[in-house]
Amino acid sequence: MRKIVTIIALMLIAGSAGACAKMLGLEQEKEDRAFEHRAHVLEGINCNECHVGIQETGETGPMHFPSTALCVECHQDPHDPDTCSNCHGRARNRHAAEMARKHLRFSHATHNKEGAGDCVRCHVNVTADADYVRTKHPTCLSCHTHKGQWDTRDCGGCHIDLPGEMAPPESHVVHDGNFLREHGVQANAQGDLCTSCHTQRQCAECHGITVPMIPSRLDFDAPMRNTMHRANFISVHAQQAVVDPAACITCHSELFCVDCHTRLGISGQDPVRGNPHPPGWSGPPGSGNTHGPAARLDPISCASCHGGAGEVLCVSCHQVGGPGGNPHPPGFNSRLSMANDLPCRLCHVGGI
Amino acid sequence: MGAELWGQLDPNVGLFIVEGSTRKYPYVDAEALIWGGAGSPQYGLGGNEFNVEALVAAVKLRDPRGISDARLGRFILGTGAVRAQHIDGGQLTLRAPSKTHFEIFGGVPVDGNLDGRGYDWIAGGRISQGLGKIGVLGGSYYNRYNVGQRSDEEVGIDFSLRPANWLDMAAKFSWEIVNPGLAEVLATVSSQTNNRKFRGELFASKRNPTRFLQQTSLFTVLGDLGTLKTGANLFWRAAPRLDLTAEGAGQQAEDQWGWTGYLRGVLRTDDEGKGSVLGELRRQQVATSRWTGIRLASVIQLFHDVHQSVGLMPEFEIIIPDDRNDLTGKAWPWGRLALRYQHESGWSFATAAEASANQTQRLDVRGLARVSYQRKWHGKQ
Repeated sequence: MRKIVTIIALMLIAGSAGACAKMLGLEQEKEDRAFEHRAHVLEGINCNECHVGIQETGETGPMHFPSTALCVECHQDPHDPDTCSNCHGRARNRHAAEMARKHLRFSHATHNKEGAGDCVRCHVNVTADADYVRTKHPTCLSCHTHKGQWDTRDCGGCHIDLPGEMAPPESHVVHDGNFLREHGVQANAQGDLCTSCHTQRQCAECHGITVPMIPSRLDFDAPMRNTMHRANFISVHAQQAVVDPAACITCHSELFCVDCHTRLGISGQDPVRGNPHPPGWSGPPGSGNTHGPAARLDPISCASCHGGAGEVLCVSCHQVGGPGGNPHPPGFNSRLSMANDLPCRLCHVGGI
Repeated sequence: MGAELWGQLDPNVGLFIVEGSTRKYPYVDAEALIWGGAGSPQYGLGGNEFNVEALVAAVKLRDPRGISDARLGRFILGTGAVRAQHIDGGQLTLRAPSKTHFEIFGGVPVDGNLDGRGYDWIAGGRISQGLGKIGVLGGSYYNRYNVGQRSDEEVGIDFSLRPANWLDMAAKFSWEIVNPGLAEVLATVSSQTNNRKFRGELFASKRNPTRFLQQTSLFTVLGDLGTLKTGANLFWRAAPRLDLTAEGAGQQAEDQWGWTGYLRGVLRTDDEGKGSVLGELRRQQVATSRWTGIRLASVIQLFHDVHQSVGLMPEFEIIIPDDRNDLTGKAWPWGRLALRYQHESGWSFATAAEASANQTQRLDVRGLARVSYQRKWHGKQ
């Protein structure tokens, strides 16, 4: 009995491990594996023998994947009656080749002539039997004719419509890690590199000011998309504003908050909720009022309701000779004109 | 030329996007992004009110040799260390063979008529120098005026460096001139293995909110706030289909130090990543912001062939605040189930049901629907 239980347990563990390995991609699925390019090359088979006619192909025209009829010319006793490419060669690699034909200005005929028929010079992964044999960017850039175009961000020489291609880069400018946080600092230094793939549309989705176009609302069917205002952001927006208020006002004006809160009936002007401040919030000096320290810790919260014309409320007390006294911290200085510029002139009448 | 049309219910908004380019001398690219909304209280449109706004309407002219390009119209301007701006105006870039780039820009900042404030104009520029093949160093400046007086004026330095294949670094630093002080510092250093199985990053940021306010605001006189954030991020491709990410950072707010961090795992259910499952645990403990969040999301391909696909996207998140009380609720759950049909002709239909509870609403249930159409026309290549 014990033996049977042990055998069943071992079978379950082995089965689970096998399923996990497949799920995690550790075990290559038998019905979809990389094509054995290396074995063919080592046999001395020229690429053109299978990819018939590719050496004369221009920028358009059909693909030159080998057919089953061509395979069985050599493999005369196939082990399976089905189409060879069902198992030999991954569908995604064929798809990548089709996308390259659709999106690139590329002529095999020209390159074949320049490279004297040496396909491996560009398709370097063939020698390693690697999964992905499409030529990568550094290989293209090793040819001097592309180098100048890379420097001047003129991708149009090869890419027909790079923004429309929407292909994540394979080998350069990779957006790994927390790119939502990193993208700003990266884009600041090399913005023209970003614009070679991204149009203004992507910037405006988050940085547009005229109307909110929040990607998490617009693309509600893309839950994996990493955005600033994802999923349930509304629940924690107040907490996030406390933690990094400048991140909010990078895009939103300080009056954005009060606009929305007034519409939703949750502002200080709401007749039911009334004043949001606790008792003793403000009062004469020495009365234990707490609004001063709170304003110094988080002035954006104050500005979100009392900005613009509402600031006049503050200067009714905070002025020289007033009960609130001088609001400036030690060492404060400004290049604004006290007599003419806001907000100085609200208190410093006549520049005094 | 490409065009897209999006329409969505709740909120009732639509987008019309048109993009076009021609490769005749000079290269010309044009794009417009027009938003329309009606009867959406979220956007201040009650009853039968409607509004149409352009987010982007710009033309870009480009010398094919890359020596110069110019952009005119309404666009998002993001260059150098100075803050990104949404402007009606122009931007001109000139590139010298020595890898020295000159940029100038100017126009009218796009802004709603804020209470008592409206920008007059903005002007600035950037000069940058390429550092061989490994990086770029730049300096930038802008000046913005508001109702006839100086609103804000910034000068900044930025750099991006890749001294080796495994090492990337970038930073920017900007200084407010009107009310002198640090406006923003962002810095990142990252390293990765050649097979991109591991990637680590160290980062630091400090954004001073009073420097981001218009300098005509009274709240700018309250001085600097501590808003430093610094931490690290580690990415590990644990298996060909499994990515794990961890991030932790120390953060300063309201004159106190706290920490924030998350653990995230993404499992792709097929080699192409068409289906995937995400799990995330997040914790924030900074000043008065103290909460724990759990998020689960998935993309399930129900049907897929070369012409069309049908996908189901369940998503769930729950926030548990440390300060739990009857007034704000003890947990804030949120869930959405979306269904999408896409056809190769460019049509896409999506619908979703969404339910949530948070500190202001005990229960909020919504239905969302979206129809979009995308089409491209290609001329002679």
